[in-house]
Amino acid sequence: MSRINEGAAWTILGYLISGPLFWGGIGWALDKWLVTGYFLPIGLLLGMGAALYLVWLRFGREG
Amino acid sequence: MRSMFSFRAEGGEFIPPSSKDFVLPPIFGDNEFTTKPIFLVIFSVIIISIFFIAASRKASIVPSKLQFAGESVYAYVRNDLGKDIIGHEFMRFVPYLFTLFVFILTNNIFGIVPLIQFPTMSRISFAYVLGIITFAVFHYVGIRHHGIFKYLKDILFMPGVPKPVYILLTPIEIATYLIVRPLTISLRLFANMFAGHLLLMIFILGGHHLLEGAIGLKLVSPFAFAFGIAITFFEFLVQCLQAYIFTLLTALYIGGALADEH
Repeated sequence: MSRINEGAAWTILGYLISGPLFWGGIGWALDKWLVTGYFLPIGLLLGMGAALYLVWLRFGREG
Repeated sequence: MRSMFSFRAEGGEFIPPSSKDFVLPPIFGDNEFTTKPIFLVIFSVIIISIFFIAASRKASIVPSKLQFAGESVYAYVRNDLGKDIIGHEFMRFVPYLFTLFVFILTNNIFGIVPLIQFPTMSRISFAYVLGIITFAVFHYVGIRHHGIFKYLKDILFMPGVPKPVYILLTPIEIATYLIVRPLTISLRLFANMFAGHLLLMIFILGGHHLLEGAIGLKLVSPFAFAFGIAITFFEFLVQCLQAYIFTLLTALYIGGALADEH
């Protein structure tokens, strides 16, 4: 049982890295392109939120 | 690793170790395939082979000490990393997991073996290659097990989510499976070995520098060396742990690729 939790921990870590990385990256690119400053934080928050949602979908639903 | 001679020639100034100290010159001429890490990899393969051939050559029911040592490592990887995590198909992957574990462990421990004292994995390319192999293995296994379309669908589309949300979630899944997983598994190994070696260099070279200083500094240098020794034991722990984690993650990824639903 602890082994399964161990696997979950690493998967969660992966999501929490790639969420902000991807959507933050999109935001950063938009900021560069449109010469603005607010897409990066929006992207980071969006990515973090989506990553948490994914974590909940994968590990929270089974209870 | 810098030589003591160049260190003295630099005069009284202490130059802290940096990432430059990891770029070792070629041993034979200027052929860049003959650097120390490359020889360490070859050397590790030789000693691992000799050890396990010797340990399994005269296998008997009442094992010798050598056979017992070899079998303990094997049984540990097979049961704790293979069977517990991958499930009933685990035997197919034990050779890979075992090779990976022993190879990384040996190359990590090179970091604290006297006269060798260089962890191979503190050069990032070696860690990347291992990460790429693991990446290829677990995707290949998943595709073979599920068929390519079902495998991709399982990864990309989490069930039970309204369709528009996929725009938000699918890129994260792609990034996780294709970029973050192979990257983090490699970087974790590399960074631990790199930082550990740097830490050892700071304490040992610092102690040496203090020893060459004024009398007051000479008196403190034993503390630096003592810390260097303490860090060496700590590094041994980290080196074993990193070999374990790399193998564990590989097993988890393979197990995840074989699982029937995510």
